[in-house]
Amino acid sequence: MAGMTSTSPWHRRLSRTGLAAQHWLVQWWRLLHLGALILVLALSPSSYRPGSRQVMGRHLYTSTAPILLGFTLLCALVTVVLTRIVMATALSYGLSQYALQVVIRVLVLELIPLTAALFVALRCTIPDGAELTAMQASGELDEMRRQGIEPVRSEVLPRVVAGMFSGITLAALSSVVAVIVAYLAVYGFTVSGLAGYTRLFGQVFSPAVTLIFVLKTLLFCLAVSLMPMASALYGMRGERVRTSAEMRGLVRMFAVLLLVEVASLVGNYY
Amino acid sequence: MPMRPPLDSPPPLPPVAHLALKVRLMLLFMLLLVCGSALYVLYARGAFEATQRLVLVADDSEGVVVGMDMTFAGFPIGRVRRIELAEDGKARILVDVAARDARWLRTSSVFTLVKGIVGGTNIRAYSGLLNDPPLPDGAVRTVLQGDASAEIPKVVAAAKDLIENLNSLTGSSGAVSASLDNLQALTGRLNGPGGALGVLLGGEQQAQKVSAVLQRTDSLLMRLDAIAAKTDAQVFGDQGMLPETRATVVQLNAMLGEARASLKKVDAILVDAQAVSANAREATTDLAALRGDVEASLRKVEGLVSEINRKWPFARDAELKLP
Repeated sequence: MAGMTSTSPWHRRLSRTGLAAQHWLVQWWRLLHLGALILVLALSPSSYRPGSRQVMGRHLYTSTAPILLGFTLLCALVTVVLTRIVMATALSYGLSQYALQVVIRVLVLELIPLTAALFVALRCTIPDGAELTAMQASGELDEMRRQGIEPVRSEVLPRVVAGMFSGITLAALSSVVAVIVAYLAVYGFTVSGLAGYTRLFGQVFSPAVTLIFVLKTLLFCLAVSLMPMASALYGMRGERVRTSAEMRGLVRMFAVLLLVEVASLVGNYY
Repeated sequence: MPMRPPLDSPPPLPPVAHLALKVRLMLLFMLLLVCGSALYVLYARGAFEATQRLVLVADDSEGVVVGMDMTFAGFPIGRVRRIELAEDGKARILVDVAARDARWLRTSSVFTLVKGIVGGTNIRAYSGLLNDPPLPDGAVRTVLQGDASAEIPKVVAAAKDLIENLNSLTGSSGAVSASLDNLQALTGRLNGPGGALGVLLGGEQQAQKVSAVLQRTDSLLMRLDAIAAKTDAQVFGDQGMLPETRATVVQLNAMLGEARASLKKVDAILVDAQAVSANAREATTDLAALRGDVEASLRKVEGLVSEINRKWPFARDAELKLP
């Protein structure tokens, strides 16, 4: 009898932990599933029929065009400031030959993809996720399902594709702008340093670094586009936790971004 | 389950004018950006330039990384493509040299692998003779290695030796100290009687002798001066040799005129003699007398000339030319 009474709290605690783990696993599995589904849909031509193409085009345009100019200007400004700081510091230590390499590595390889992804998340995909949450809460998505329209294809896919497109465009444009602005900040308006700069750029972008850079940018964009949608679609189910579903989605998104960044750093520097 | 009406459906997206065109432009823009970036990376990696292969063999490839530059006169002309370990345990550094820069590499070129104390390793090429034949593709060269950090212990040991030598030199019993003492004694003697002369000649007595010699030389010079003045008066004075000589020359001129007149007479007489050659025998007595006259005249001239020669030692040309 004594044994029975002592095992009972243990049993309860174990079963609670098991449930939490199961819940956690289920949530990540749903996320992976949704990601795979979205990827398959994004790669299948049937998603780009004229009707859905127009919806997708509108999402693409409204999530990219308004933020493109502002983000590019911001990047140019940050590049000028950082380049000046790094150059001045390197000069004072007599290591100016490494300064440009440091600028390219820090800005183009590390800062810009992360900043672009966060910018897209804050300006496009989190509002999109909120919109989807509202649709889910109002039962609009269930209504669609009843009418035979799959909401993942009609509502989620355009938003994810638009977010990814926006992230990639922003990262590419601001990388190009940062490379140009860093050159101008160091050499001024002259073409005489171009050959050396290109050579330096080539030294930084070795095949492995380039591959990691591309993969990292793609994964960042995928994470910030997919995770707010996933938490909007599936977030309403678990209501035992105090924080709201959106907040949990955000935390999960940042955790994934951090993971990708750490993995890329490990790949680049080990 | 009752149908739930949409509570707060999100507001529809605002319509965008020329949506299809704008979307197409944006897609095109992104494609251009991505493709341009990819092409630039490939170009910067040297994917589009013709290269030739150069293999550098080194004992130790530490610090050499794939992608680093090989420089010639500070300009990057090649990149390390691969580093591999050969069968003989040596490192083979495979360098791609841009074809347009390969002309700087000659068969006599030297390659060095230098490790700095701060900063990376450098591979440098040196071509002393640019007239040599160009380096062929796939050439294998041994790289000369210089390691700045490996040199540090040697440099430190050498510096230590040097400092020890310096210490022994500058110590209280060292050579430098003895030299300085000697120098001090020397300067003391320089300041003393005799001064520099005493230092040079080795003693005060010698210095005094030298000064006595100098004094005697001085008096001798004064006497020489007086002699020179006398000589001047004798030679160039009123009763000197030169005016007398001048008078003698005037006399000589007059005598020469006389001699010339006599000789003219002789000439005329000779003409006469020729004219009367038929009666030569008759004129023989007259001719003998005349001949004695001429001979006496000539003897006078000869005497005069010898007198001039005696009196005028400065005559350059003692020979007298008779007409």
